[in-house]
Amino acid sequence: MSEGELKGILKRGYGVIFYENWPIWLSGIIIGILSVLCFAWGRPWGVAGGLKNWGDWIFYGLGIYSKSPEPFFQSTNSLLTLGLLWGAFGASLMSKEFAIRFAPKWELLKGCVGGIIMGVGSAMAGGCNVGGFFSATSALSLSGLLMMIGLFVGAYLGLRYLYWELEHISTGQGGAASTSGGQAVQPYLGALVLLGSIVFAYLYAQEALTRQGVLLLFGVAFGITIQRARFCFVRGFRDIFMTAEAEIPKGITFAILISILGFAILKWAGLRGEEVYVPQAFWFGALVGGIIFGFGMVIAGGCGSGSVWRAGEGQVKLMLAVLFFALSTSLTENWINNSERLLKLMGTSVFLPNYLGYFWTVVVLCLFFLLYLIVAVWNEKTEKFLVEP
Amino acid sequence: MVDEIKPDQTLDARGLSCPMPILKTKKAIEKMKSGEILEILGTDPGTKNDLPSFAKKAGHEFLGLKEDQGFTRFYIKVK
Repeated sequence: MSEGELKGILKRGYGVIFYENWPIWLSGIIIGILSVLCFAWGRPWGVAGGLKNWGDWIFYGLGIYSKSPEPFFQSTNSLLTLGLLWGAFGASLMSKEFAIRFAPKWELLKGCVGGIIMGVGSAMAGGCNVGGFFSATSALSLSGLLMMIGLFVGAYLGLRYLYWELEHISTGQGGAASTSGGQAVQPYLGALVLLGSIVFAYLYAQEALTRQGVLLLFGVAFGITIQRARFCFVRGFRDIFMTAEAEIPKGITFAILISILGFAILKWAGLRGEEVYVPQAFWFGALVGGIIFGFGMVIAGGCGSGSVWRAGEGQVKLMLAVLFFALSTSLTENWINNSERLLKLMGTSVFLPNYLGYFWTVVVLCLFFLLYLIVAVWNEKTEKFLVEP
Repeated sequence: MVDEIKPDQTLDARGLSCPMPILKTKKAIEKMKSGEILEILGTDPGTKNDLPSFAKKAGHEFLGLKEDQGFTRFYIKVK
């Protein structure tokens, strides 16, 4: 093979990974595998917990909280979310997609309000679309499914609001500036950013914090996968009503089936605690929190993971959503935790194998998600759930 | 080929992110006649996937896109 040929192959390979978007089904499979490996390595994947840690620190810094939160460079919550942001930032540079994208004022306001609403919902449900739905369901908790139902209702209401807004609120045309630059050097910067995360994990290992360092790398891997595929959980719920496309439901189904099987094995074999990621949110917290979160994610245009990766590629609206999510989830969660009555209202933890046994739990969950997929594909053809403005 | 397109209407969706460009496109198309061409200006990278697949699903013809200074121009022919 000549040098020219090798160069050509490398160039094509780079193009496939960084200039073309990854197929949704493939990234669904990768997300499922990463989710299982992440749990096997240390803990399940989550996003809102990291945001809460950051929010805690902001309030502590302002002197509003008296107790010092867990150090954000040690908290595994914080490191997973930092990794997600880091990976999405690196991947968007590698694919020359990074730009500081301003949005019209009205949209920026929607980012803030959507973030606040999501923060409240995730505090109630014991996590966002990742920790409260995806990882909780994988962990064989019933509140994960309940939150999913809430997310559908919330996404539907959010879409109705957006339709109403289009008719009644004149926000003018777009025209907001977008500052991009250095397209030619972006891939080199991106490589540095991604290599930086490996150096970071290495330094952690030197300090006997290997578990934390590798969890950061898991976050980075999630960030790269999700940014390159533009894997948007919001669409798994909203698109059923908005465009009837079934692309993301396919990805979510692949991801969660793999994740459910992996978590079930880890828990059944006794390698991981059965109570892990089974939120105390059945039923009120998961259902009502899911509805609130679902509404907020459609207003903001990004869920827990979606807001973070879009912030990583430079979208100012989603940066605001992340900031206000962090502040509001910190306030709400601490408020709930300090009140016996609220804690009781949110609910108890329901671990499905305690009622059905492991075998039937896995069967029921798999059938549930296959049904979700079948309905989504059927809806793509018939458009039965499509909501017109 | 894309350079020769003369749009009947232009929708400025710069600065908007998912799902607003699609919703605004939907609304703009409702007020247009069959065969007319809508030009959409966008900055969200997601729009490059979303607009063609929206047009295909809704039965409109996606004519193509063109990169400009810091944004992209998309062209859709109304069915």
